[in-house]
Amino acid sequence: MSKVNGLTRRASLALAASFSALPVMGLPGTAQAAPVRGGKMVYGRYADSLFLDPVLNDANVDIWVMTNLYDTLLLPTNDGVGVQPGLATKWEMKNGGKTLELTLREGVKFADGAPMTADDVKWSLDRCRNPKNGPWTDLVASIDSVSIASPTMIVLVLKHPDPSILAALATFNTAVLPKKLFEAAPGTTDEEKAKAYAEKPVGTGPFMLSSWQRGVSMKLVRNPHYWKKGEDGKALPYLDEVEFQIIPDDSTRLLKLKAGELHGTEFVPYSRVKELKAEKDIRMELWPSTKVSYITLNCHPKLKDGTDNPLSNVKVRQALNYAVNKDAIIAIVTQGLGVPMTSFMSSTTPLHHKQTLYKADVAKAKALLKEAGFPNGFETSCMMVAGNQDGLNTLTTLQQMWAAIGVKLKIEQLDNPSLTKRYRAEDFSMRTASWTNDISDPGEITTYFAYFPNIGSLHSGWQNKKVDALYLASNEEVDVKKRAAQYKEIQEIYAAEAPIVFLYETPYPVAFRKNALGFVQIPLGNNLFETAYVAK
Amino acid sequence: MNRGAWLLGRLAQIVPSFLLIGVVVFVLARLLPGDPMSAMLGDHASDATIARLNAQLGLDQSIPVQFLAFVEGIFRGELGVSIAYRVPVTQLIAERLPATLILTGLSAVIGIVVAVPLAFIAAMRENQWPDLVIRSVFQVGLSTPIFYVGLLLLTVFAAQLHLFPVGGYGEGWADHLWHLFLPACTLAFSFAAILMRSLRGAILQVLTAEFVDFARAKGLRSRLILGRHVLRNALIATVTLVGLHVGSLLGGAVITESVFAVPGVGRLMVESIFARDYPVIQSLTLVLAVLVSLAFLVTDIVQMWLDPRVGR
Repeated sequence: MSKVNGLTRRASLALAASFSALPVMGLPGTAQAAPVRGGKMVYGRYADSLFLDPVLNDANVDIWVMTNLYDTLLLPTNDGVGVQPGLATKWEMKNGGKTLELTLREGVKFADGAPMTADDVKWSLDRCRNPKNGPWTDLVASIDSVSIASPTMIVLVLKHPDPSILAALATFNTAVLPKKLFEAAPGTTDEEKAKAYAEKPVGTGPFMLSSWQRGVSMKLVRNPHYWKKGEDGKALPYLDEVEFQIIPDDSTRLLKLKAGELHGTEFVPYSRVKELKAEKDIRMELWPSTKVSYITLNCHPKLKDGTDNPLSNVKVRQALNYAVNKDAIIAIVTQGLGVPMTSFMSSTTPLHHKQTLYKADVAKAKALLKEAGFPNGFETSCMMVAGNQDGLNTLTTLQQMWAAIGVKLKIEQLDNPSLTKRYRAEDFSMRTASWTNDISDPGEITTYFAYFPNIGSLHSGWQNKKVDALYLASNEEVDVKKRAAQYKEIQEIYAAEAPIVFLYETPYPVAFRKNALGFVQIPLGNNLFETAYVAK
Repeated sequence: MNRGAWLLGRLAQIVPSFLLIGVVVFVLARLLPGDPMSAMLGDHASDATIARLNAQLGLDQSIPVQFLAFVEGIFRGELGVSIAYRVPVTQLIAERLPATLILTGLSAVIGIVVAVPLAFIAAMRENQWPDLVIRSVFQVGLSTPIFYVGLLLLTVFAAQLHLFPVGGYGEGWADHLWHLFLPACTLAFSFAAILMRSLRGAILQVLTAEFVDFARAKGLRSRLILGRHVLRNALIATVTLVGLHVGSLLGGAVITESVFAVPGVGRLMVESIFARDYPVIQSLTLVLAVLVSLAFLVTDIVQMWLDPRVGR
């Protein structure tokens, strides 16, 4: 959900296999040599964080680094599809999936040395599910009450059985904060206290914030009380310090990496990946993500200007999909780093149902257009964020592909807030877009893409009552097989009705100096530095 | 009219121009499509959430009411709180302004140090090879985009020769100057080109003036003529140009700061416009307007001192 520059967040082993150069050496437990302790790692980021409060933040630039400061009761596994023990060591579903008992890890301390208590856990969960608090409360809306059964046992009573509750307890917004410190922060409202607290956040994560110059750099230092152990049996993290430097310009970030002024950097442009792979001091890492890139189609019968909308006809939408050669787009836009979408959700999303979507077939596309009453095609337009090279490459390629079936595409470049405004007003024909998951569950993406009552299926106006009903039922279905069947049907209907043009999935391209090892980026996007180190 | 009254008159002109700039920017920012909260929350937040958060920021009030609140804040020394960064705007600007001031100051110095001697050489050797070489090199400076010059300097002098760091700002004064040297050269390139050309023209004009002929006829040595008459007159032109170019140097800083990862107000301005961070946009514009006006004022004063005709 959270989007910055159209980038959001989430993955599986199937995908892992499809991206070459998967950084196996980055996965904990498989590093070749013993990790080196101490020292500092300098990492170049394209944009700075804005607000380091797990509950009220709303952007990937916050979410992706916040897990270095805070822990959740459960943690996502590094492949992004499951959960593992975090601040809770055990969990048990009872009462037909309506009660969840969590056993707290003993001896966990916050970065300031204060012990983490059941009180902190209850308070944190109550805060993150308060509907007034920020954009993430829906993820934990099924919780009815949180109670402390004993100093080491927390009990959640749910309004209904919730198949995504474990994933939610491994998602950033349920992080445990120290109640006393937060409440002692200046301010009267939760928002004011959060602002003050997030200036100097204290969590149970592997690092703590030592200095932050907005837009310039952020320094994290080792939390001496961190509970997780490294390969050597001693407490993590290995590094004494992580320094984030904010360098918005792609070329400058890569020059800094080549000059050895950075150990690593994120968002390497696809066009530069090959070149970096050839550099002898640099290692390219392509981490499986949950990112899908697609074109949203307006499916309303009429456009905002009152004219008839050809895209409201399902055959037209199918024709547009058939006219697209995804492999060619992947080659042109991602330099071959992507793979075709096989559902509206990425193949790394749990319950993803793999389909072959609209294999390029111009004759079929033409036939469908003719059946729909557009034998000579029509004119349409697509919005994109001005200056976005990927968007422009995609649309100029689509222009040619669709010209073959008589569809003339006009490209409209807008700055992001202007585009968002028209999108939200549903005043568009098409737009370029991408999505990443925030939670390891298919529910989040489905509520935005397919479940109409939320935001009108990506503001497309497309509605399918069957899909809406299946989605609602799936939210209470704890039988994994039954839920998978529901999701299979949702994904099949969505594919057939095509409210989007399906394009591709891409990994997170990250580059490191050869001596900088152990970094992990999970499919949800979280940057993990706890096992990172700089070899001598 | 005496000089004091003239100066007061100049100061009085500045006040209404600030007010005008303030109103225009304030209104323009709000007329841009989109609003801070939808820019921040992106595509998928619900309309209700966005409306509630915009209301919390007071954005549901009419523009005149918001403007009055802003002006009232200025008199209390408050510029509001950044919507994106959630810290006081004064703090943000105070953190970012020094880098931009050092950058533009350094580039003005580099531009002057390079352009003034070269302009003299070019003028003295009009249409001979030194003149031609100098003019063609600067022609390149005038016609090359700033970001390209920046990347070129970074690649050669920082990434390959390791003489300078690849962007950034460093810590402490000496480190700042070292980090900002390449960006300042980048920014100075086109500025020096303009300065050199105009100064060369001014010198050529002064050299043909009657008073120079007269001085020569009196038998003054040419060094003295250059120093006392030509330089002084040419300096007037230089000062005017430098003053007028403070604005464009600040404008160029926007691009240079992004390429060289310099945490200045130029970059902050771009980020804030994309984030529709109204408090930052309006306050920063005002601060920059004050800076440019101050530069103009200083230019006028220096001109007055150099040229006795001004202010009489």
